[in-house]
Parts: sequence; structure tokens; C-alpha cells
Amino acid sequence: MINTLAQIDFIATASHSPWHRASALGKLLLAAGAVLLAVLAPHLRLPLALYAIGWLLALTSRLPLRLLAAAAFYPLLFALLFIALHWDGSWENALRLALRPLTASLYVVWLAGTTPYPDLFAPLSRVLPRQVGDGLFLTYRALFELLGRAERMFRALHLRAAASLPARRRLPLAGEALGTLVLHGFERSQRMYSIMLLRGHSGRICGCRHYAEASPADLWVGLAALAVSAAGVLLWRMP
Amino acid sequence: MSHLHIPDGVLPPILWGPGLALAAALLLLAVRATRLESPRTIAYQGALGGLMLAVMSIPIPFVALEYCLTLAGPVGVLLGPAAGFQVAFVVCVILALLGQGGLTVVGLNALVLGAAVAVARPLYVRLAPGRSAAAALALATGAAQAVAGLCWFALLTLALKLSPGTPVGIGRGGVRIGLFAGVTIALWLVAIAAESAVAFGVGRFLARVRPDLLPAAPTRAPAVPAAGVP
Repeated sequence: MINTLAQIDFIATASHSPWHRASALGKLLLAAGAVLLAVLAPHLRLPLALYAIGWLLALTSRLPLRLLAAAAFYPLLFALLFIALHWDGSWENALRLALRPLTASLYVVWLAGTTPYPDLFAPLSRVLPRQVGDGLFLTYRALFELLGRAERMFRALHLRAAASLPARRRLPLAGEALGTLVLHGFERSQRMYSIMLLRGHSGRICGCRHYAEASPADLWVGLAALAVSAAGVLLWRMP
Repeated sequence: MSHLHIPDGVLPPILWGPGLALAAALLLLAVRATRLESPRTIAYQGALGGLMLAVMSIPIPFVALEYCLTLAGPVGVLLGPAAGFQVAFVVCVILALLGQGGLTVVGLNALVLGAAVAVARPLYVRLAPGRSAAAALALATGAAQAVAGLCWFALLTLALKLSPGTPVGIGRGGVRIGLFAGVTIALWLVAIAAESAVAFGVGRFLARVRPDLLPAAPTRAPAVPAAGVP
């Protein structure tokens, strides 16, 4: 999973496409609207149309196809479990049940793959309580560093033949290794706090202020929003 | 079980709507309970949230399958219910924004993960007297996972009963609760065993190296001699 996340994070910052240049707020609203429509759609045609629009957005965003597929099909397993539990002989119902999470996931991957995380979190941190908004930034910043350490730790355990131990010894050993990461996290937080103070922390971490700045690229987001809205209006009642 | 993140579109709005509202209300309560905490604590929360996300992505071989940890129990014990719930919420929001889990079900995912995190410390404090920190942490983690699993199981059973096809509704005839229960209970037991064993190791390490990071167990007050007795 995390390799996918790391690649998405890198591409969101480093890649160039009209979607990358568009404002985060517009893309966030478009993705939220499309997800809501897909989730609430009563018939099959609307999710199908939204899914097609979603692929159009994703394929034009210069996200690698393999990465896109890995991320966009992530909810398929869970959707299949639900379809199996609900199977009533109707392929239409099954397809609709599968399309909803797949469509939603596709729009979210497009959003995350074209928007750097400070821009993505900035509008959310405006509506969330201060601690939670700050927590978004601090957690995300900690993630990749701790992930690297965790991977190195588990590789070291593997090299020292921890995998050959029985599970009742292997798991507590993994726990001890994670204990060192807890300790590192604690010490890291102390350093981070000192750095925040040095940089003039005023009691709130403010994300970038240009998440809502419109650019000519926002015309594309407007067009996509128009297409999603038109699909919603025209296909909502169409079976 | 506490981080098998439910995607968008499989649960009916009648479940995820109130779930979002309840999670928001609990989040506000949690924020109010920790409003006097310093930014140092928020940085610590961020570090533990990052650790939760990191371990969620690394599969650990366990018997015949691989299991991704959550560390919900140890994080809950280290942070307490209020700060822990905030971390669970942030973790679910980040996962949803990266396409893992759903945007509409952030509230429900946070409630399930938050249930494990929130009950861990009260359980640890009750279990710690007379036990080693490692054993208490393992037991508290196991119980927290059991609570989260129950929430998850109740949620999905409710979803199946309510029929996920709202507003149209998909037929109710095909629901196979037995199959569902079999699969989820097996996963649940694996989760409880794996998380408890890992929490035992975390507790053993912290008790040796930094016992001050673990919450203190309540000490029994010495018996006070009755007045007048020499």
C-alpha cells in the first residue's frame, strides 16, 4: 500500500498537467460532488457515466497506469465481499454495488495524485478543530520517515532470521522493534516542537494560502464539474 | 479488523450520515478534553499517528497469512481516549484522501478505529495492578481489538440488514450472514492474537527503556489505622 501512497505523493508534487496547476479547492469540491453522486445514484447508468468521466480525468493527469490501477481497484476486494453477501441473481445490482466504491476511489486517487498534500489539507484544516488540523500535517510529515525506519527495522529482523521463529516469539519481537519506533516518535516530537518554536509557531500550523487561488487551469475543473453535473441531472432517474 | 477500511458506496447513507455526525461530535468532545495540551503533545500525537499509518502498510507474516497491524491498542494506552480518538480520526482522513477507505465513511471508520484506541487506556489502567506492563498492554490491546471488532461486525451486519442499495434498495433475500460471520470472526481472532502479541513486545520494551511513557497504574492506598488504635 505505502509504495502506492509514496508514488502518489511524489507525483502530486513533481508532475505537470493542467490538473496539477488547478486550485486544490476546486478539485476537492469536484471530487466530493462526484463521490456523493456515485454513492447515492439509484440506477446503474449514472455510476457508469461518472466512472467514465473519472477515468478520463485520471488518464489525463499523467499518473502512471499501473499506479492508477493499483490505487483505483483497491476497494474491489471489499466490494466483492459485499456483492457475494448480497448476491440475488441480478448482475445489474452487483455491478452497481461494485461501481460505487470503484468510482469514488478513482476520483480520490485523481485528487490526491494531482494535489500536493499541503494544498489538500489546507482547506480541511480550516474547517477542522485546531488540534486536528495540525494533526493532519504532523501525522503526514511523520508518516514517510517512520515508514522508512519501520521497513529497515523489519528487514533487519528478517536478515537475523526472525522469520524462522514461531509466531508466538516472532510477533513480540516485532513489537519490541516497534517499541523503538514509539521511542523515536516521542523524541522526534520533542525535536519537532522545538523546531516549531524556533520557526515562530503561533499556535496553529497554517497550510499554504494559495489552495483557493484560481488559475486558467481551473477552467478544466469547471468543465469536468459541468460534465459531472450534466450526468447527474440527465441520468439520475434513468434506469 | 479495526482497519479493514470500508470504502465508499457499500454502506447506506442512513448509516454513514449519522456515523459522520457522531464522529464529529466525539471529535469535538475529544478536542475540548485536550484543549489545554501543549503543541508538544500534538507533535507526539502526529508521530504516533504516522507510526499507525506506517505499520498499517507493512504486512507481517502470521501463520499462513500476512497481517497488517494497526497499533490501536498501544497508541490508545500511550495517548489516552481523547487524544487517541483524534489520532484515529486523522489517520482515517489521511487514508480516505489517499484512496484507502472512503470519504463518506470517514466517520464510521474513525468510530471503529477510535473505539479500539479509546478503550485501551482505561482497560490498561484497570489491568496493570498486579501484572507486568507488557502483559497489561497485551490484554488491554486484545480487549480493545475485540471491542473494535464487535463495532465493525455490528456495523456491517446492520448494513446488510438495511440493504445497501438505498435509495432504491437491493433485494434482501441474498444476504448470507453465516458466511459473513465465518469470515469476519476468523479474521477477528487473528487480529486479536496478532495485535496482543505485538503489544506485549511494545510493552516489554517500553517498560524496560522508558517506563515513564506508559500511564501509571493506580496504587492502592495503604490501610489507614482506625482512630484510637495504637
